[in-house]
Amino acid sequence: MAVQIVMDRAGDSRYPFDPASAAQVAEAELRFQQLTARGFTATARVAPGRVEIIRSFDPRVEEYVFFPRLVGG
Amino acid sequence: MFSVVRSEQRALRRRRAVRTLYGQHRFHRTPAGRAQRLLQQWLTPAQWKQFCSRGYFDVIGSHSARRYRIYRGTAMNVCLLDERGRVRRGLCFVPIYDLPAGDVMLAQKLALELCEDSALMVAREFIPRALY
Repeated sequence: MAVQIVMDRAGDSRYPFDPASAAQVAEAELRFQQLTARGFTATARVAPGRVEIIRSFDPRVEEYVFFPRLVGG
Repeated sequence: MFSVVRSEQRALRRRRAVRTLYGQHRFHRTPAGRAQRLLQQWLTPAQWKQFCSRGYFDVIGSHSARRYRIYRGTAMNVCLLDERGRVRRGLCFVPIYDLPAGDVMLAQKLALELCEDSALMVAREFIPRALY
């Protein structure tokens, strides 16, 4: 199972999806598009200690973390 | 006599261990606990070790390769370091939503390591406290 982790007030919300299920992948892709449209940045761990920005949805990514837009404090 | 004392000590140790485990379990169910666990999972082992022992961790900027230090906190907690590891200036940038400290620090780390220029574009400078 892959998972999309979205930072929020509760710490995070987790949305697992099965990469083998077309319906779940479509749902995950829609969530990805909605979140990035709202200003979230999608990131993924590609190797131990190495993270990358994910610009377009990739169902092979096992764990996404979405963090909100940053502003000056 | 001695065996009774040893048995009571063992029981006391067991009760303390159970209480500690229960406390940790309860903490990880809170927003702060969940955020801290996510931070732990996404920091490198070296960053997590540094954070646990010193209350901050260092990251390298994606474009400039400069070193930044992220302190425990939710605002005014990022500093740019010089070549000798001394604090040069403070940078304040935070997620737009109200998030627990662990999430804020993780977002700051990811931003500096992946899109440093975007983070610096929105960051406001401040004079770091003497503590930093």
